[in-house]
Amino acid sequence: MIDPRHDIALVTGAGSGLGQALALELVQKGLSVIGFGRRDSALQDTMSKAQSDRFVPMVVDVADSKAVEQAFQSIEQTLGHVTLLINNAGIYPRRDIFDETGASFMEVVGTNLGGTVSCTISALLYMGETGFGRIINVSSFADMAPLPASSAYAVSKGAGRIFGAALHADLHDRFPEIIVNTWMPGMLATDMGIQDGLDPAIAAKWGVGLALWHDPSLNGAIFEMNREVPAPRGLKRKIKDLILLRRPPKPRVVEV
Amino acid sequence: MTETPTDQIWDVIVIGTGMGGGPLGRWLAEKGWSVLYLERGPQGHPAARHDLNYEMGDPVARHVRGYWPTPIQATINGKSFSFFAPIGSGVGGSSTFYAGALERPEPHDLDHSEARPHPTGGWPVSYAEMQPWFSAAESMFKVNGTPDPLGESDGTLDPPSPPRRDEAALMQKLAANGLHPYQGHLCFHRDEDCPTCKETRCPKHPKMDGRTAGVDPALATGRAEVQVNTAVRKFIGDTDHVSRVEIETPDGVETLSARYFVLAAGALASPSLLLRSQSEDWPEGCGNSSGLVGRNLMFHMNEMFALWPPRSARTEGPTKAIALRDLYFKDGQRLGLIQAMGIEARYGEIVHFLNLAFDRSPLRKLTWLRQFTRIPALIASKLFGSAAVFVGILEDLPYPENRVIVNSDRPDQLAFQYDIAPELLKRRKTFRSEIRKTLRGMRWVFLNHGPELNYGHACGTLRFGSDPAESVLDPNCKVHDLDNLYVTDASFMPTSCGTNPSLTIAANALRVADHIHKTLSRQKDCKND
Repeated sequence: MIDPRHDIALVTGAGSGLGQALALELVQKGLSVIGFGRRDSALQDTMSKAQSDRFVPMVVDVADSKAVEQAFQSIEQTLGHVTLLINNAGIYPRRDIFDETGASFMEVVGTNLGGTVSCTISALLYMGETGFGRIINVSSFADMAPLPASSAYAVSKGAGRIFGAALHADLHDRFPEIIVNTWMPGMLATDMGIQDGLDPAIAAKWGVGLALWHDPSLNGAIFEMNREVPAPRGLKRKIKDLILLRRPPKPRVVEV
Repeated sequence: MTETPTDQIWDVIVIGTGMGGGPLGRWLAEKGWSVLYLERGPQGHPAARHDLNYEMGDPVARHVRGYWPTPIQATINGKSFSFFAPIGSGVGGSSTFYAGALERPEPHDLDHSEARPHPTGGWPVSYAEMQPWFSAAESMFKVNGTPDPLGESDGTLDPPSPPRRDEAALMQKLAANGLHPYQGHLCFHRDEDCPTCKETRCPKHPKMDGRTAGVDPALATGRAEVQVNTAVRKFIGDTDHVSRVEIETPDGVETLSARYFVLAAGALASPSLLLRSQSEDWPEGCGNSSGLVGRNLMFHMNEMFALWPPRSARTEGPTKAIALRDLYFKDGQRLGLIQAMGIEARYGEIVHFLNLAFDRSPLRKLTWLRQFTRIPALIASKLFGSAAVFVGILEDLPYPENRVIVNSDRPDQLAFQYDIAPELLKRRKTFRSEIRKTLRGMRWVFLNHGPELNYGHACGTLRFGSDPAESVLDPNCKVHDLDNLYVTDASFMPTSCGTNPSLTIAANALRVADHIHKTLSRQKDCKND
């Protein structure tokens, strides 16, 4: 069941790949969905697949923080309030470090990290007024063991996960019902992914399942595909749990 | 707005936006006067939860959450330490955290009589004179509850929601023990039919506090403004008049001007500000010719216990809805109100209380042992389900040696020294043994062993009275020495009463607001003549 307090969902990078699949899945679930994207043609593609006027395309480059602010203002004036935000937009240019410039590097960071930051800050303006909201940051393991020729992407994705943790620190005690999660969808068969990867439509079911799961205890949790990634337990904690007969919490699974 | 607050001469500047400042500013703004609230803390987010977090020590994080940002420096029984007190700093002040119990004091808390002699000979304003103001505050804060069966006056109470099954069972059980429980007087409503009422902050039924019942309605008149992130550094003026206040904001230091000033920064911060306002005309601090500024500091003493409902009913959730006054005044002794605290003692809470007890015990150095408080807690919660936590509020009495002080190295840090009076410990013993007798046959346990001061209930540090040598404020809460400075936080109280101070503070603030309104009106009439 969708929480009746939800108003509008917003998916960034909704013109293709996972973003498109997430937007379509949310429309399917009955929500009104705004899709941000840079290319109008791609958003039109999503629109035609949605076959519903509940999908509203908006041409916005999330790297442009002013444009994001203005887009949110116009949403507030004409459509309603964003209560569900999926920060999905990302670019993944493969570049050897010799081919990178400071500017080209920061351009990737500007979209992948800057877009998440700008959209989150704008969405929080309204979420902070009601104390209700849901934010999913799409992330990856790219930072754990960066591949060659992906420095900017790896850095921006790692920083995105840290941003999620920082949001948790800033919000969870004051706004337990603004629930923030980092979600790693897995290796997908999209332009950014791998050829024999996972169908983005399947991953989108998990992502939307997680986004519509409104439980304050989820706050700050990290999910990979459809499963919670348990917080690491140190040796001391493990021994303590053993003595006190405490079982480590079971990782939760997204119901689809 | 073209005029900035700095240029304008306000009718009234109110320092602090809690229970003393909020309602007073509203009363004056609604009567047509221009009001500027100065608030040290931030604007805050109306939808944010305000659970006090004593472990959060970072001053910036504390500031944005509306907690007083820095630790309080305390010397208690000669032992010095610093700690975070449950004091707010933000629009609404400490009241954004309070439990929302707006209980009236008893007549003997204010009045002297042969049967119940008053420790200071009585307040300069009688209970009868305060009655209409208690009613006004009860209306303003939409207080609901049932009348105290032992009391004489009913108060102006909205009908409360009917008690839950577990609450009703507890009340019946208490009544069967010969006690007189009633539904406590609360400034928030629990509407069973409202889908959002289970949340801490129901947008449809907000808890009424200094902001929601005071500042917000004041701003709605269009005649009031609130300037946040503004710390008042000192008063400026001459022998008998305050002309300006010096403030510090993120933009720098400036001064503001008003015809009347009302100080409502809380019973620790208000005297501290007056003591820091030293000048040639005020060598001992502003308003301090009596030497009493900051003295007679009182807290309440908390006696906490967990009470399990009878076997027929399991606890269904936290409750604040039960209060009783059977021990308020017992065998000639001033004890106090007993009320449910709104805490459900489940496993986690019992662990927390046991840990607090552990931290005071001689075993506290063996930190690894602290883990094992979980075992008795687990047993208790498994056996009995969860309990309701109650608190007995024991009245504290004034002693001039107990006082707010100014630390010359850190003048902006709140500091006090306080000795627990032997007389208070004796009454505490009586209170505990009376509680024991009272609960005989029920399942309950004390949650604190040592004396526990309630640092959220500081009061008395600028007491009002008729004699300028014996008090800082006159009966209208105007500083004796000055013609345009009033104080309306808990500082004015000559005794701490046996109940939560919120309603008394708000009622007195409205009484003073009306006095200032009449004074301003008279001046206006004179000008017109």
